[in-house]
Amino acid sequence: MNNFEGFIKTVHVNGNLSIVDIDVTSDILMKAIVIDTPETASYLKSNAKVSILFKETEVIIGLGDQSGISLQNKIPAIITHLEIGNLLCKLDLKSDAGIFTAIISAAAAVALDLKVEDEVIAMIKLNEVMLRSL
Amino acid sequence: MNWEPLTLTFQLALVVTLILLLVATPVAFWLSHTKSRFKPIIETLVSMPLVLPPTVIGFYFLIAFSPNSGLGSWLNAVFGLKLVFSFTGLVIASVIYSLPFMVHPLQSGLSSISKSITEASYVMGKSKWQTLFKIQLPQIKPAILTGIVLSFAHTVGEFGVVLMIGGNIPGRTKVASIAIYDEVEALNYDAANYYSLILFAITFSILLVVYLVNGNLLKGIIK
Amino acid sequence: MIQIDLNKKLQAAEGEMLLKLKIDIEKGEFVTLYGASGVGKTSTLRMISGLLNPDAGKIIVNDEVWFDQSKKINLTPQKRKVGYVFQDYALFPQMTVLENLQFAQTKKYGAKAITSLIELMELGQLQNRKPETLSGGQKQRVALARALVQQPEILLLDEPLAALDTTIRYKLQEYLKQIHSEFKLTTILISHDVSEIVKLADRVICLEDGKIINQGTPEHVFINQKLSGKFKFTGEVLKVSNEELISIVTVRIHTEVVKVVVQPEEAQNLDVGDKVLVVSKAFNPLLYKLRAR
Repeated sequence: MNNFEGFIKTVHVNGNLSIVDIDVTSDILMKAIVIDTPETASYLKSNAKVSILFKETEVIIGLGDQSGISLQNKIPAIITHLEIGNLLCKLDLKSDAGIFTAIISAAAAVALDLKVEDEVIAMIKLNEVMLRSL
Repeated sequence: MNWEPLTLTFQLALVVTLILLLVATPVAFWLSHTKSRFKPIIETLVSMPLVLPPTVIGFYFLIAFSPNSGLGSWLNAVFGLKLVFSFTGLVIASVIYSLPFMVHPLQSGLSSISKSITEASYVMGKSKWQTLFKIQLPQIKPAILTGIVLSFAHTVGEFGVVLMIGGNIPGRTKVASIAIYDEVEALNYDAANYYSLILFAITFSILLVVYLVNGNLLKGIIK
Repeated sequence: MIQIDLNKKLQAAEGEMLLKLKIDIEKGEFVTLYGASGVGKTSTLRMISGLLNPDAGKIIVNDEVWFDQSKKINLTPQKRKVGYVFQDYALFPQMTVLENLQFAQTKKYGAKAITSLIELMELGQLQNRKPETLSGGQKQRVALARALVQQPEILLLDEPLAALDTTIRYKLQEYLKQIHSEFKLTTILISHDVSEIVKLADRVICLEDGKIINQGTPEHVFINQKLSGKFKFTGEVLKVSNEELISIVTVRIHTEVVKVVVQPEEAQNLDVGDKVLVVSKAFNPLLYKLRAR
């Protein structure tokens, strides 16, 4: 499981749902949607330290500018290691937020012609991000 | 043929067995539950008749209960009891002598009952006596039967103790085993043979019935 | 309110151990004692029921003193209002199921309680059978019903479900849950099964070497990190298989078996039999409505 740490910046609440903005670094802001509100989960407050957890298989890899896409969690990263199997491909990635891993299809890795040292944008849907209070 | 020694023998065995049931049950209960330091001492005392020559027990009874001894004269003065050379004395001596044969099966039966079963009854508010009579004893029926038969048979077969304390008074203390000895001494082999044969047949049938009823249950206890 | 304060020197496998416990239990609470064997869980239940005497301390149940070393008060097990379910069921072998229940009956709690317990625990078919003819799960139901005949103030359960297979265990957990609320019992359960504890207990008390090392709600104790995921189950690892670049872990959750994809590095830390938390965001699962065809 990939794991970043950050501090909650703002919590947007509507009904039982909250979208939480988290500062991972000064440049990288990540968002998560949770079925919790500051009333039901006391850690949902500004400046609270949280872990941001997401699965390797939920990471989407893009090349170049990805402004025309609905995903808001975008992490610029560099491929440090790449392992292509018959079906799947494992990418080790380095970013300002920390190192992490992505599992994508081997065919996609070939189609994008991914290589070590390539700069990519790693993206995660906000409903795939889980929080853990620290 | 004089039947008196035979009836006396079975009378004695019956009375002794009944008294043993009453006496041995609390002793066995105590031995199977206690954590007392005195347990080994009591256990040893109960088992002594197994290893001591019966004459030793008989001899000490004779000394203790003789009208010349302190205990004997006190019993005589207070209760009018003459234990030496009397049926009552025989009963008391036989009870002591056959005690292990009743206590041991009961004790091992009671010890084999899972502790939690007894405790379950206590937790349900049942007293130790209620638990003993309604839960524990009904579970060790085979052991009780074993105790009864062994004590009965052992009393029928005793000789040394009886001879020492009871003597040889016809109708009062002359039991079958003594009568046989007497007849042999007098070279009346026929009479000795009758007594022996009848004792043999009766005890054989009792034990056989018990084995048939109890299956293999006695095997572990009568080696 | 039950106040328990116990001190007892126990003979453990590795020599002497001092049990030192202080627990307050609210009326109606379902508490679990959790810990390795030999840490004093069963001894604790035995002291509460009066089957074992503490060296010092107090046991006060709803303002009634059951034990107080300083005042030399020590109620016998007979006088303490507890229901105790033993690990080996402790059914009376010479009695039928019904007679087992009737033995627990007192003038105060009559035949009516037994009738309704037989109904509740579904023992009607079994009531004239002897314990030796019953299966483990059936025996456990009888033991549970019997412990409830006297309407105890505290129900003590010593690993009652440990010897049963999964499906029956799951069903009996439902019974336990039902009777706990129906009879408004205060229940103390010894259990090793994390998923059982999460399902049943309000509070779990973790013991080590006769001392409380941790306590709280099962979620707090076993999950200790506050995960935001709402799709959470505790389960047991049945199998770990390594595939290309990923690993697949088969997990039993109660009676269902699921599969979870993890990284090989994560799978290395997992052994068959490990308890795991299966967690996902509530956004991921799909729901299919089941229809009778």
